Amino acid sequence: MRPAFLAACGLILAFLLTPVLIVICFALNPEPFIAFPPSGISLRWFGKFFASRDFMAAFWLSLGLGLATVVIAGLIGTLAAIALSRGRFPGRAVLVQLFLSPIVLPSILTGFALFQLAMVAGLGRNLGILLAGHLVVATPYVLRTVLAMLAQSDRALEEAARNLGATPARAFREVTLPLIRPGVMAGMLFAFIVSFDQFPVSLFLVSPGQETLPIAMFNYLRFDFDGTIAAASCVSILLAVILVIGIERMIGLQEYTRL
Amino acid sequence: MGTPRMLNRRTLLAATAGTLAVPALTGAQSANTLRITGWGGRWGEIMRQDIIPGFEKANSCRVEVDTAFPFVPKLMASPRGKPVYDVFHSNTNEQWAVFEQGLVEKRPDLTKVPNAAAIYPYATSDDIIGIVIFTSAIGLAWRRDKVATPPVSWKDFWDPRFAGQRGAYVIPANSLGQALFMMAGRLYGSGYKDLDASFKAMERMRPVRLFDFTGGTENAMLSGELSLTVLHDTAVYRNQDKVPVEFCAPSEGVVSLEQVLSVTKGTQMSALAHEWINYMLSPQVQKMMAEEVWYSPVRRDMQLGEKYRGKLLTTPEQVATLIQMPWQWYNGQKDRIDDRVNRIFRN
Repeated sequence: MRPAFLAACGLILAFLLTPVLIVICFALNPEPFIAFPPSGISLRWFGKFFASRDFMAAFWLSLGLGLATVVIAGLIGTLAAIALSRGRFPGRAVLVQLFLSPIVLPSILTGFALFQLAMVAGLGRNLGILLAGHLVVATPYVLRTVLAMLAQSDRALEEAARNLGATPARAFREVTLPLIRPGVMAGMLFAFIVSFDQFPVSLFLVSPGQETLPIAMFNYLRFDFDGTIAAASCVSILLAVILVIGIERMIGLQEYTRL
Repeated sequence: MGTPRMLNRRTLLAATAGTLAVPALTGAQSANTLRITGWGGRWGEIMRQDIIPGFEKANSCRVEVDTAFPFVPKLMASPRGKPVYDVFHSNTNEQWAVFEQGLVEKRPDLTKVPNAAAIYPYATSDDIIGIVIFTSAIGLAWRRDKVATPPVSWKDFWDPRFAGQRGAYVIPANSLGQALFMMAGRLYGSGYKDLDASFKAMERMRPVRLFDFTGGTENAMLSGELSLTVLHDTAVYRNQDKVPVEFCAPSEGVVSLEQVLSVTKGTQMSALAHEWINYMLSPQVQKMMAEEVWYSPVRRDMQLGEKYRGKLLTTPEQVATLIQMPWQWYNGQKDRIDDRVNRIFRN
């Protein structure tokens, strides 16, 4: 049983990691086209990526947008989850579904609808609208993970804190928040990844001259098909790895297994 | 339990004023800003570095280029009297699509485009909505190191020796694929609109590798995965210093892949939009885009460098080989064609 299980795990891992390995191969291939097997090893496409004003501007914009999304979606998602979990008011179930609906809807529709809304309202396209779009699709991930943690946490602990004289704010800070922290962190991690890799929503909401990295890559891909795209993908992958390692160092990824 | 805060008149007024001010603060079109659609790659580089700054300086304005596809749904979703673009730049098939939605003018006011007097008639033919500014020729690209007998006709694309070695496009998504579809109707039927002949030719085209973008085909040609493909001359000529690839202008003629500009209906920047079109047709812009990006100019009076002669279409004889496809008709049949070709290539 154990060898069969290990083999199955190995196959699944290979299935998941092979595309990443192929991207890395393409990024290191010195040829002016994407081909396999690579004819050698070169960093020329990384050089081109980092020297490209367009790609770098897109990279920093995506990074900034991702971080802003993490903070705001983390705040909104966490507070909304607490209200929906602990509050007693009519229509809670409907509200939960409503908040989670952007996960269910195809993102391309969400993007198009937000674009249309911005146009009809005369808001035009700008960074604020783009951030709002990212928040719409990223916040449900925070909400979902925090709701899961709240459902598991023992409410009696919060009540005990209140009975012992803690203010609501202190009970939240010293009891509730530590209990739900893995959910908040996991949700924020998802929110960052959703924002940084966001394509369908950004496609409609980016304003001219302010393209995010996935949009810049897509536009590049339509006209130039060299290893720069693979290098850009490698940088994205590396960023995700750094993020995961950082969180592991900070709070330990094993915490997430509770979710 | 605290008293709920009531919405008073002052708060309501402040909120209303704030809401109304948002467009002015964030999204309203800046005065003297021209919003156009555009492309990435080398096209985008040249435009940004060399072409747009000259126009902005001469007209004391700003040009905002949206290079994030798709443009058509964005234009369709913007309010009719307040289009998201002032000038719509695309290939001919998309121009017909937006024209039929009532989103662009059929033709710019040519009295406001003095440079239009110097262009070839095909740039404003009845097959065109708007005005053509550059053209690439769609023909056959082939590898010298893999093809012993070069292709001479569009029919060579169906030659069994290229089975599995030829590349084409996902027809619903790519205008080069759509052009090939119509060309098949002419080659094997009664004309470009002979659907049955085209469908049968698509079936005979297999095995074939299909791509969404010309960039994908270009890469496959460069890497030697393909021996023969349908491609525009621009993509071939700019890569000839890298790999042994040649462009064949088939004996039946090359299909015209036009870059077209149209003025959107309801634009508040009509005068500037016409200035932009005139500028794009000016000798310096026509020459720069021809020599930097390998686009055929539409001006009749262009003198290009030696290495462009015989390649880019500048003389009346060369221009006469351009075939303009019936895109209006094609758009009307698109759903039917898409459905059938999807089934052909799925099997």
